[in-house]
Amino acid sequence: MAEMTYRQALHDTLREELLRDENVFLLGEEIGTFEGSYKITAGLLHEFGPRRVVDTPICENGFVGMATGAAMLGLRPIVEIMTINFIILAMDQIVNHAAKIYYMFGGQCPVPMVIRTPGGGGQQLAATHSQNLEVWFAHVPGLKVVAPSTPADARGMLRTAVRDNNPVIFLENLALYNVKGDVPDGDYTISFGQAKVTKEGRDLTVISYSRMAAVALDVARRIEQENGLSIEVVDVRSLRPLDSETIVNSVKKTNRAIVFEEDWLSFGVGAEIVSRIQEGAFDYLDAPIKRVASVEVPLPYSKPLELAALTGAKQLVEAIQELAPRRRR
Amino acid sequence: MPEITMPRLSDTMQEGTIARWLKKPGDTVSRGDILGEIETDKATMDLEAYDSGVLEQILVQEGETASIGQPIAIIGTGAAAAAQTQQEPPARTAAASNEQRAQPAPPVSSAAPAAPATSGQHEAASAGNGAIKASPLARRMAEEYGLDLSQIHGTGPGGRIVRDDIEDYREQQSTAQTPATTAPTPVAPTSPTQARSPATPVAPATSPAVPADAEVVKMTRVQLLIAKRLTESKQTIPHYYVSSEVDMTDLLTMRQTLNASASEEGEKITVNDLIMKAAALALEKFPEVNSSLKDDFFIRYKHINIGMAVDAPTGLVVPVIRDTNIKGVRSIARESKALIAKARNNKLAPADLEGGTFSVSNLGMMDASTFIAVINPPQAAILAVAAARKQFVPIDGQPVIRDMMTMTLSADHRIISGATVARFLQEVKRLLQNPYSLLG
Repeated sequence: MAEMTYRQALHDTLREELLRDENVFLLGEEIGTFEGSYKITAGLLHEFGPRRVVDTPICENGFVGMATGAAMLGLRPIVEIMTINFIILAMDQIVNHAAKIYYMFGGQCPVPMVIRTPGGGGQQLAATHSQNLEVWFAHVPGLKVVAPSTPADARGMLRTAVRDNNPVIFLENLALYNVKGDVPDGDYTISFGQAKVTKEGRDLTVISYSRMAAVALDVARRIEQENGLSIEVVDVRSLRPLDSETIVNSVKKTNRAIVFEEDWLSFGVGAEIVSRIQEGAFDYLDAPIKRVASVEVPLPYSKPLELAALTGAKQLVEAIQELAPRRRR
Repeated sequence: MPEITMPRLSDTMQEGTIARWLKKPGDTVSRGDILGEIETDKATMDLEAYDSGVLEQILVQEGETASIGQPIAIIGTGAAAAAQTQQEPPARTAAASNEQRAQPAPPVSSAAPAAPATSGQHEAASAGNGAIKASPLARRMAEEYGLDLSQIHGTGPGGRIVRDDIEDYREQQSTAQTPATTAPTPVAPTSPTQARSPATPVAPATSPAVPADAEVVKMTRVQLLIAKRLTESKQTIPHYYVSSEVDMTDLLTMRQTLNASASEEGEKITVNDLIMKAAALALEKFPEVNSSLKDDFFIRYKHINIGMAVDAPTGLVVPVIRDTNIKGVRSIARESKALIAKARNNKLAPADLEGGTFSVSNLGMMDASTFIAVINPPQAAILAVAAARKQFVPIDGQPVIRDMMTMTLSADHRIISGATVARFLQEVKRLLQNPYSLLG
């Protein structure tokens, strides 16, 4: 067990996977000489050389297509898209090719590819560089979408992603890179489609993923100390496949739920989770499920406006106070 | 084919009951005719026809209840094809613009206008007051424990019954069962109170054992509303009471003089009119008393609108005299007489009952020596006025017979402090004891 940052966990896992399997290679913008815009790939070009760590031109559609082709022919590419905002340029390659090739060619040709990319706002990068678009991919059959919130999960899930034979969107978050946490030793993996109850509780359940799962855990601990409210936190970790069972069982226990997400409210990840809950736990619900998400505007550059538009601990605390059962308040 | 829908007759109305139909199917109807009477939460109102034609069908029968916008009758084109002036029920668009928020909006009926077949099933709903709102969990728990949801008071959004309420109820039940071992029925206390004194036996609503010779009277909507509001008032408002004795001798003399000099048609001024005027003038000086509480704010009203409690045949009503402070006592007398007449005939319009900022309740004519009243929310206070009675009062060391009256102010302690109330009463008393100041 060692304490390390989310960034370090990603870096070490990439390095280990490059060492473990010579079919694994990295490609993306500025990941080699510049060592990555967020320094996840620091030192890897030097160690593995330009055949294993490939700097690409600024052409997402081109290099995601290239990775798809490489994966079809037996390599295991790990693509870095600098931020999820630029993934839009590669939509056709991801949605129409990578996600469908295995199915359309009758299972002859899997596409074992990982696309790593950070989402999230809060860095004053303005409307076009601060988005949370993961739900677009979670919607598409043929893709897997995972979004770990801790260094330990990042490590276990990145291993699983690299070794999976399907295209995987591996969602990171700018505000998580410096978060520290204990990471177990050894070559462990974490299966997709398994949510994790990160804190047990009785009074209500907060369901979240990626950075907001970390915020939720923090808020839940604080509220328990301050108000004695007992809040269960579920980190779904994997959006597709989604672990309905863990979510539903938690709500069956607490009878009240909040879905907490950094993306926009309408048609967001929360909408899907709410639907799963009502399908699985209708008779256990004591109140309508709440969704706490970001304000539906292009994210402003101005710091005060950005803070006002993004969801966060404050919004979650308010929702908890509104939803908590009266007798436990 | 013009459909007649349940109109919105007051701000707080959510549904109305057909008190009676004055037209029957087959009758010819002209625009402006009174089709029937509708009982709302506040008053009984006429239902006017907006189209001419033939009343073809009555969809909601006498005694049945319909929500606003729900079709209650159909006027057909018997004669001049009722020029398609049919309007959609209003207030729909307002409700629709709020889509995103899951706020507990008043249940806007979505009754499809295309379904006369629905008329039958309203019979069941009209027996109680609409469907019971309960969370799925609460329903399941009620089933599990064999509880009757209609006996449980909902405290969730929009009155929804939630787990907390079931748990409250079960606790209440188990405490209530100890003293009353003879009643094994699971019906238990009905009162919506969070029972501070569960030992006090509360009469069950649908009492399982009514003696055969007792009369069972169904409460009217107005009575139900009064019951609900009074219970709410006494349970949620921290009432306290301050009394004061007033020497009414001069006021009674003045009133006699005024009435003696009034011409035949001139309105006789009652003691109550003068007390209302005195209260209104005192309220000018004490705006704290003329106010309400809303969330974190005191609302201080600019207008002084005094309600007077009137004993109407259907129950207590409190019609309002607007701007009492700036009206002369003669106008107040005229208005109050008209309002009392309307109240007695059940003809008060919602406008007569709205906007009160303070109330006066007077049992003086029934010889009550002293009493206290329940605050009429959202007002801050109510003045209870008892009878003026001849008493010996020491004046300059000598017993003198004077007409003494006790008045008691019930006040909301969240809004007004005791000292303010005492000073307010002092001012009312000063005005009543210097009655000519009321004529200024």
